[in-house]
Amino acid sequence: MQAFDHTTADSTTQALTILQADASGASKLIAGGTDLLTLMKGDLLAPARLIDIKPIRSLRYIRFADDDGLTIGAGTTLAEIGRDATLAERFPILPQSVRDAATPQLRVMATVGGNLLQRPRCWYFRGPYTCWLKGGEECFAREGENKYQGIFEQSLCAAVHPSDLAPALIALNASVEIEGPNGARTLPVSDLLQPPTADRRTESTLADDELITAIHIPAQPANAHGVYLKAMDRRAWAFALVSAAAHLATDDNSVMTHVRLVLGGVANVPYRATDAEALLIGKPLTPELAAQAAEAAMAGATPLTHNGYKVPLARELVQRALLAAAKR
Amino acid sequence: MPIRIVTTRLEFEGQVYEQRVVLEGDEPPVWDAAADLHVVGKPTPRVDGRERVTGAAQYTADVHLPGMLIGVMLRSPHPHARIVSIDASEAERVPGVRAILHRFNTGDLKGTSAGRPIFAEEALYQGAEVAFVLAETREQAEDALRLIRVEYELLPFVVDPEAAVAPDAPRVNTEQERNTISDEWPKTYERGDVEKALAEADVTVEVTFETPTALHNAMETHGGVASWDGRTLTIWSSTQDVFGVRTQVANALGLQQNQVHVIKHYMGGGFGAKFGAHNSGILAAYSAYTIGRPVRYMLDRTEENLAAGNRPMSRQTYRLGARRDGTLTAIDLRTLGNIGALGGWFSSVGLPAKELYQCENVRSVDVPARTNLGTQASFRAPGVVEGIAGLEVAMDELARALKMDSLELRRKNHAPRYQLIDQPYAVKTLLEAYTEGAERIGWATRDDEQRRYPLGRDGHLRRGVGMASQLWGGDGGPPAQAIAKLLPDGSAVILTGTQDIGTGTRTVLAQIAAEELGLPLDAVRVELGETEFGVFSPPSGGSMTLASVGPAVRMAAVEARKEMIEIVSHLAEAPIDALDVRDGAIINRETGKEMGSVGSFLQQLEGHEITARGMRGPNADGVIVRTFGAQFAEVEVDIGTGDVRVVRIVAVHDCGRIVNPLTFSSQMEGGIIQGLGLALMEQRFVDERLGAVMNPNFGDYKVPTIRDIPEIEIITFNHPNERANTLGSLGAGEPPIIPTPGAIANAVAHALGRPVRRLPLTPDYILNLLNGGE
Ligand SMILES: Cc1cc2nc3c(=O)[nH]c(=O)nc-3n(C[C@H](O)[C@H](O)[C@H](O)COP(=O)(O)OP(=O)(O)OC[C@H]3O[C@@H](n4cnc5c(N)ncnc54)[C@H](O)[C@@H]3O)c2cc1C
Ligand code: SF4
Repeated sequence: MQAFDHTTADSTTQALTILQADASGASKLIAGGTDLLTLMKGDLLAPARLIDIKPIRSLRYIRFADDDGLTIGAGTTLAEIGRDATLAERFPILPQSVRDAATPQLRVMATVGGNLLQRPRCWYFRGPYTCWLKGGEECFAREGENKYQGIFEQSLCAAVHPSDLAPALIALNASVEIEGPNGARTLPVSDLLQPPTADRRTESTLADDELITAIHIPAQPANAHGVYLKAMDRRAWAFALVSAAAHLATDDNSVMTHVRLVLGGVANVPYRATDAEALLIGKPLTPELAAQAAEAAMAGATPLTHNGYKVPLARELVQRALLAAAKR
Repeated sequence: MPIRIVTTRLEFEGQVYEQRVVLEGDEPPVWDAAADLHVVGKPTPRVDGRERVTGAAQYTADVHLPGMLIGVMLRSPHPHARIVSIDASEAERVPGVRAILHRFNTGDLKGTSAGRPIFAEEALYQGAEVAFVLAETREQAEDALRLIRVEYELLPFVVDPEAAVAPDAPRVNTEQERNTISDEWPKTYERGDVEKALAEADVTVEVTFETPTALHNAMETHGGVASWDGRTLTIWSSTQDVFGVRTQVANALGLQQNQVHVIKHYMGGGFGAKFGAHNSGILAAYSAYTIGRPVRYMLDRTEENLAAGNRPMSRQTYRLGARRDGTLTAIDLRTLGNIGALGGWFSSVGLPAKELYQCENVRSVDVPARTNLGTQASFRAPGVVEGIAGLEVAMDELARALKMDSLELRRKNHAPRYQLIDQPYAVKTLLEAYTEGAERIGWATRDDEQRRYPLGRDGHLRRGVGMASQLWGGDGGPPAQAIAKLLPDGSAVILTGTQDIGTGTRTVLAQIAAEELGLPLDAVRVELGETEFGVFSPPSGGSMTLASVGPAVRMAAVEARKEMIEIVSHLAEAPIDALDVRDGAIINRETGKEMGSVGSFLQQLEGHEITARGMRGPNADGVIVRTFGAQFAEVEVDIGTGDVRVVRIVAVHDCGRIVNPLTFSSQMEGGIIQGLGLALMEQRFVDERLGAVMNPNFGDYKVPTIRDIPEIEIITFNHPNERANTLGSLGAGEPPIIPTPGAIANAVAHALGRPVRRLPLTPDYILNLLNGGE
């Protein structure tokens, strides 16, 4: 890690002023620091200044709106999401998604905003290798150690988005509220997280001088239920091998009137299985239909040398998540 | 006292050595089964538990000396490269930097790998030492590190062990023609005629089983803090062998041994990787000596995982032959192992094949591969953990081929005598361990429908039960010395030079001394982990600390007590035979009356301290002393996700007399948990094109968490092994890890109804198996 200046911001306005005053990239916001510091220690980032937004109280809240929607301040911690009783009752998929994220120690530091913006865990990315995502020419993982990589090709990079929260948020059709030099804007989480491109070697479309203030979750259809399942190769403190967020609503005849199905651990960003959703909508859920949907969700998968197991694993989680969500 | 010099056989980490040792005096008779003991055998909390849990215990990294410099290392990013030039001029100008050491300014400063300079011309693996920066702060040192310019000439490399021993492989070290230990390798052990026996066998099976490279990941990394005062060099070293460090440091710096003082009071784990100072300790000592300022150099987690040892992978290919009735007639084994860049020995993967089962025709071929990866190190029962897993998986496969119960097959082939040379075992309770473990795990019902399919046949869960046997040494041996000092107030200090590497050595030695001195436990203080005040003790490893040092402490205490009783006899004018000492009080045996405390007698004398020496005697001749045991595992496999959960482990181990049931069960649990890690998740990943380790950190190299740990049931027989040593105790450090991976592998195979071929049994492997892959 290299030396840096540290400034504590009292408000988002102050944080933005400092952020925008500095030359591009020289300053970085720090919230819980649980991802940023690991990147700095690994010499992947060396910002000249950190602007600490963790103490900004106004970024830390869970607010239920009259229309049954919900707004979560970007500085809210995963631990707070995990223990909020109302959330557990009205949007159980959210506490479920953070339940096995990281560790208790990390969850009390880790914020929602930082969680969405965390960088991939790809070994080559984190190690001293100039791979494509870091501006190099080659993706080393494709021909190398790619057990944890994605099975859907979205860019030259094969890394997966590590967040457990993001698939659940996308399943809830959430958006982020952003403040920047040109004022405020709102962006669906599914647009905030986008596969990297040749010109933008990162998974987020947020500009360097922007700040996420909140996550907004719209009102969900009546009777909607969500389930988040995560497969790990250790019973705690492991990123998802694959995860599945299923959110669905049924009418009085058990016919599905609303379905969103999002997978984690399979692509650069959470992967919405739209083919499977289309197959499910308008039908009652049976185990056979769940199996067909799981099959449909895997259409187009192109596993690499060491991650073929993710296909049956994802299929299984999709079926279990759908059946569990339908049962609730 | 007259001395004797004897040659005695010592087994250490699965290898047998003959050593010449000096003995003095006579040991007391063994504590047999009838011995009336009051402190030994009682559950005794650790005497240093308070220091450890409050943070008062000082580990090596906690040592902070005035004016201390911090060292950090620039390590080779390449698996094989010649270091052509180093430009440290810019780095030297960073404020706070005091020195930068590398191959062009350290002469031939030797490290701990035989004869090799620490800063060699050729970096043989990713993580090899290139340049060492010493600065006032860690931050300054790291800033300087980034400014060192190194010109590397990249050389061809090989990291795959099979490729390394192929004829056209690149040379791992351009100075060596072949990628192995020496021209004597591969080595073959053979008894009988294996090919003939296989040809004549009714049933044969062939099994290839692979175990991963595992990283020790002790909580405390390697390293040292050193200080030179112009006369003596003091080094706090994270080591399992303070006397070994003394020799290494004295040799490296050209000092006399009386100028080197080594300290290791508390240890944050070693697991076999810390027999010596490690290059990090030598460098701390060298720089403190040459610069004249104290120096601390502790490896960070990445360095620890690249350059401080590993349990090497093994690829074991078995061919077993048997008669229809299950009698084993042939065992053939080829073991490929990866010794890393500088390995000089081959771990005992073949030992179980040679010894565990009665078999006349056995061949074991050891193929060590040298590769451009970090060097192996002993790791808790090196080789034997892997060998048991491979052999026991193969035995289960043979049982399936014979349609025989696998435990029955093991019983049938039980080896009553040691077969490498024909000798009896002092004690062998393996059959009892089978019976006890089978009973507790419910072996007889392991195929019951409800047990195998907890959610029914259509459900996604499968349960399985499997087992594996354990054999290991653990009887220790000489040389080991101790001194017992009885102070005027009746309190005692026991001096040894052993280390407590976290196993509870301090506590059990205090129990032994208290037992013989007749003092309460809190009147005995045990000093260890120092060369200066201690007396010679062997390295703490090979499950031999208690079995080596314990008897020496016992003898010293017996001798001190003799003198104490003699003194009391003079002062009280009572015959020696009439006197006893219990719980700090002198007792008249005839009347049963207390005559006063030990201190009340000793204080009548002018400043007399009783000092007595004890020595571990020779090992018994003509008999093999071993620990035996078995573990039984019940697992639950989710066939949809490939998730393996260990539900329960029943561990039955015979380690002779148990001095302290609490420290014993700590050893058992720790070993089983570490074995579970190897079975289910631990695995070093290497990118073969880059020659680089991909997961040298705690996040990506996965060790078990509390949630992964099953219910563990521990059973031991607690009978003294009277041929082992005067305690009748055997080491318990390594036995518990030995059968765990094999038992889990067999349980998973049972659950799935198909064999497994490797460790770790991660979800990807299980899913591939279930989807028709290998
Ligand atoms: C060992 C380990 C295990 C983990 N396991 C999991 C897991 O299983 N599942 C999971 O989901 N996550 C896991 N994580 C990731 C962890 O959840 C994230 O690191 C954390 O949520 C990031 O939040 P933070 O507040 O610490 O972000 P920081 O590290 O402070 O910031 C991360 C990035 O976001 C930017 N940022 C932060 N807040 C804002 C904002 N409001 N507006 C704009 N930019 C912002 C920062 O500038 C930085 O670039 C793990 C992390 C570790 C270290
Ligand atoms: S997967 Fe992405 S991050 Fe990993 S090596 Fe390839 S380009 Fe780099």
